[in-house]
Amino acid sequence: MTIAKKALPYLLAVIASFIAAGIFIALMGFDVFKAFETILFTSFRTPNGFVQTMLKFVPLVLLALAFTIPLTAGKFNIGGEGQMMAGGIGAAAMGILFPDLPAILLIPLVILGGVVAGALWGLVPAWLLYKFNINEILTTVLFNFVAFFLIDYVCTGPWRDPAAGHPTTVAISKSAWLPLLVKNPPLHSGIILAVLVAIGIYIYTSRTTGGYELIATGANPRAAGVFGIKTRNMFVLSLVLGGAVAGLAGAFEVAGNQHRLIEGMQSNFLQLGLIIGLISRGNNGAVPFVAFLIAVLEVGASAMQRTMMIPVEMVFIVEALILLFVLLSDVVRRK
Amino acid sequence: MDDKPILELKNVRKVFGQIVALDSVSFTLKRGEIHGLLGGNGAGKTTLMNILYGLYRKDKGEILLRDQVANIQGPRDAIKQGIGMVHQHFLQISNFTVLENIILGTDVKNKYTMKMDEEVVKVKELCQRFGLNVDLNDTMSTLTVGARQKVEILKALYRGVDILILDEPTTNLTPQEVDALFVSLRVMVDEGLSIVFITHKLREVLSVCDRITVLREGKNITTLDHNDASEEVFVRAMVGEKMDIENSIYFATEVRNGFDRTTAEAPVLELEGVNVVSPDGVPQLRDINLEVYGGEILGIAGVAGNGQRGLAEVVIGVIPVTSGKKKFLGEDVTSKTNESLLRSGFSYIPEDRISDGFLPKATVAQNLILGQHRIKPYSDGRFINWKTVFSETTRNIEEYNIKTNGPDDIGGNLSGGNIQRVMIARAFSMDSCLLVAHNPTRGLDIPSMDFVYQKMLARRENNQATLLLSEDLDELIRISDRIAVVYRGQILGVLDRGEFDKYAIGRLMSGITSENQPAEEKAIS
Amino acid sequence: MDITVINFLKLVLLSMVPFVLAAQGTMLGGRTGVFNVAQEGVMLVGASIGFLVSYYSGSIFLGIVVAMLSGGIFGLALAYFTTTLKMNQFVIGLSLFFIGLGVSTLLPKLILGITLTPPLIPTLKSIPIPLLSQIPFIGPIFFNQNVLVYVSVLVSIGLWYFLFRTQKGLELRSVGEYPMTADSLGINTTKMRYWSAIIGGTLIGLAGAYLPMVYAGTFTEGMTMGRGWIAIALTFFGGWSPLPILYGSLFFSAVEVLAFRVQVIGSFLPHQILQMLPYLATVLVMVFTFKRSRVPGFLGNNYDREKRSL
Repeated sequence: MTIAKKALPYLLAVIASFIAAGIFIALMGFDVFKAFETILFTSFRTPNGFVQTMLKFVPLVLLALAFTIPLTAGKFNIGGEGQMMAGGIGAAAMGILFPDLPAILLIPLVILGGVVAGALWGLVPAWLLYKFNINEILTTVLFNFVAFFLIDYVCTGPWRDPAAGHPTTVAISKSAWLPLLVKNPPLHSGIILAVLVAIGIYIYTSRTTGGYELIATGANPRAAGVFGIKTRNMFVLSLVLGGAVAGLAGAFEVAGNQHRLIEGMQSNFLQLGLIIGLISRGNNGAVPFVAFLIAVLEVGASAMQRTMMIPVEMVFIVEALILLFVLLSDVVRRK
Repeated sequence: MDDKPILELKNVRKVFGQIVALDSVSFTLKRGEIHGLLGGNGAGKTTLMNILYGLYRKDKGEILLRDQVANIQGPRDAIKQGIGMVHQHFLQISNFTVLENIILGTDVKNKYTMKMDEEVVKVKELCQRFGLNVDLNDTMSTLTVGARQKVEILKALYRGVDILILDEPTTNLTPQEVDALFVSLRVMVDEGLSIVFITHKLREVLSVCDRITVLREGKNITTLDHNDASEEVFVRAMVGEKMDIENSIYFATEVRNGFDRTTAEAPVLELEGVNVVSPDGVPQLRDINLEVYGGEILGIAGVAGNGQRGLAEVVIGVIPVTSGKKKFLGEDVTSKTNESLLRSGFSYIPEDRISDGFLPKATVAQNLILGQHRIKPYSDGRFINWKTVFSETTRNIEEYNIKTNGPDDIGGNLSGGNIQRVMIARAFSMDSCLLVAHNPTRGLDIPSMDFVYQKMLARRENNQATLLLSEDLDELIRISDRIAVVYRGQILGVLDRGEFDKYAIGRLMSGITSENQPAEEKAIS
Repeated sequence: MDITVINFLKLVLLSMVPFVLAAQGTMLGGRTGVFNVAQEGVMLVGASIGFLVSYYSGSIFLGIVVAMLSGGIFGLALAYFTTTLKMNQFVIGLSLFFIGLGVSTLLPKLILGITLTPPLIPTLKSIPIPLLSQIPFIGPIFFNQNVLVYVSVLVSIGLWYFLFRTQKGLELRSVGEYPMTADSLGINTTKMRYWSAIIGGTLIGLAGAYLPMVYAGTFTEGMTMGRGWIAIALTFFGGWSPLPILYGSLFFSAVEVLAFRVQVIGSFLPHQILQMLPYLATVLVMVFTFKRSRVPGFLGNNYDREKRSL
């Protein structure tokens, strides 16, 4: 099948969701075309818009991978948010506890802190699955809430920044800040690492025996087990890997973007990550591209709320509709 | 029997996707007859009857019931018009009671309290009349296959049907149970029912049916009175002109010699006093002693659910041995994982291909390398060599006659028979010292079955060992060198090829040995 | 002491309602095989719409009805996508969760504007039952509650009777166990799945509406705080049976109330630790009960009559 033919259902899904949203926006009495123009082109009009898009892209692609990696092995990780928050806490802790280390040591340490914390947050549901056969969907979700209160504790505890009106920690050491790729508007270098991670994951899943075992486990764990694949190890591996990637996103938010831990910095990246992962149909190779498109929409959405007073949730619903229509295209094809 | 047809199917056509399952098939059932519907797998027998029963919608054709055009939209209509069907895979709710299963879908008298005294009386009366004894309060999952079949038949009789369709009813019955079933069927016909008997077993049809219709590849070939034709006519009708019956193993009549163990070296596989207890404490296998030699095919007979699956999985290393020893070429491999066994020369065709052997969401190529994905030529241990995998897959698709769009077709698009061919290609494409094959020919048409038999006999020539577990007794007798019979996790006897006798094996299958009394009828699981 | 205990138990009963209703709704759908995982989103929509309708109409009752209807629409959508279009139940459930999440925040913003302080609505009043509420100890706990507490108990008992003591109930359960069987006996599996998903959806919508109408008096974003997900755990905990689910919700509610009370009274623990309790308790419960939980045989699967058995 040609690429054009493959892309067609996606294109139709996007158009259909925009039409549906357009009707709704028009009914609410807003200028539809101006709204769409804002949503689609804010990212490309100014350098700042593009940098904002990139800054959104980093956590989105990582959170989507945190979902699709376990999905390759047939496991649903709905805990990317908690893992990202844990990663943020781990990264912030490094940046606050070791302020005097030189950047060359501290930056890797901060990133490692985030990755390890995220991986540990993914390990808990993985272990429960391994040991007690507890469905991972619920445990990963529930640990999001646990992480939420943990971050609240950290942001209102000893590291609290009393000057901030919102629960926030003090800033991490300057030497923990990720170097900037572009000075103005500031774009941190985490994006390079994020893209490398995405490429690495793609190669791992599509070319290696380990990746094959993940795929086989996801396709039918029982059969994979019968033919010598240690499926429960695969489950744990995939969930921990997913947690690590989400933790990396948390570390980037702290060390690259905010330079401190802020309650609520997880935004709605989890839901968007899931939407990206599902639109990509779990294909790790497609994730970066879909993530970029969603980042464009998200940046456009904020601009639209600022300039036109249309709530950002409008675009979130558009994104959910795109997902639904993409899924529907399967049904149409089956017929 | 009078000659008036009670049911006529005219020029029925049914297409699944791109596969024509039925191509203008016609069928006539007379009042008070047992009508055999004979054909290999994929001939369309079940599809035809599912259309009659309203489970499938026909694309073309006409159904005449008692001389009137019948419009059957679903099973509800079929039941209303007096048609009942006993499916090959029993359609029962395993955690409901027998009574609940029988009355399900009918209107009971006390809809809002479910006090069912009247219904109980009615069912008990049916049990008595047709000699079908079951305890109405038993939970379905505790019953044997034979008892569950009785419930299926009772379900149909309870609804007062006068046309009863039985789909492969003798699968999983011992020869003795088959005889009892045939007696019951005669009673039903004498009481005025008409019966359609679907099967792929020629001898059965000849022994019980009044008339026989043969289907092949979705077309009806012929309908004959069973007295009017010889066995050869039916064989030819079933397999068509292309197949070479003379050299076929399926229809072979001449006697082949058994394996001569006196000249053999050490056995490839030995099981010594193997016991297996499942995690919930139920014993699955008890004191199994078996050996399989290179160049031998050891058959395992038994009614399904008597430990065959456990035996296969213990040998292949999927479930651990609780006590006892497992040796491979003289070396103790009791505690080795299935991964290392597969690596050292085991291959496996699992019983339940869909759940235990197949990756529906993966490609055909990915399916073919499962279990061999860490070894050459498919992989160097770290990276998969997809180029080799694809060329090998393409070759296997050809050799094993797998109908698919190519190596990267998604497995889920394959039909059951083709999935089975993938299992077979995977197991036979690599040289293996020991093949564990569980129902390897299930779902295959006769030429493909013959192909599998040829492959197994070739293994014999190459001094490779084969452990063949099968529910098809005819198949075991056809091809094994020895047959061991399992009953409730125990080996009750091992027969050499010279001593094969269907009824003797059947007795062992139902737990009767020369020393003991008939055992009571309860399944172990 | 006595008063504290009475107040505590009264509060437990009061807070169990969203758990009971959401879990019974989940259970009902699951009993025909339709596994809803959009609870969190559907509850939020119920809360949001119930709040808005009550606010503008001044009628709590109308708010409840519209919230239930909106839940029913989500149930209908779930049934349509899974039963008619045979799409993956879990993925569709997640999509509906996203849509619910979006709608529940979008609507108040569109209607009330992007404000910081949303308006209040009156909350549901306790209705003492004559005579019974006078019984010492038991009376104030059980018979002086708001109407939805009574409704949730009655719904549970009603569902139990329906599922296990009526012919339709038997038929419904058979659809969730093995629809091929039900279908082969002339039971309309599609209809069963639709109705159970729709009615299940209305119960979940009602569970959501309870939150602004009893707890907060207003709607806040994400106010369900994971109760929808906990309801799923509760359904497994209750073995997909109405009465065990009712008892189980008492436990989940007790943990929630306890965490809240201790927090108010004050303790050496940081309050965040207490707030984590319901979620950690849920995980713990799953560890101890999930293995033994009996699940409808066809849960989460779609039935396609003409799909040839492989």
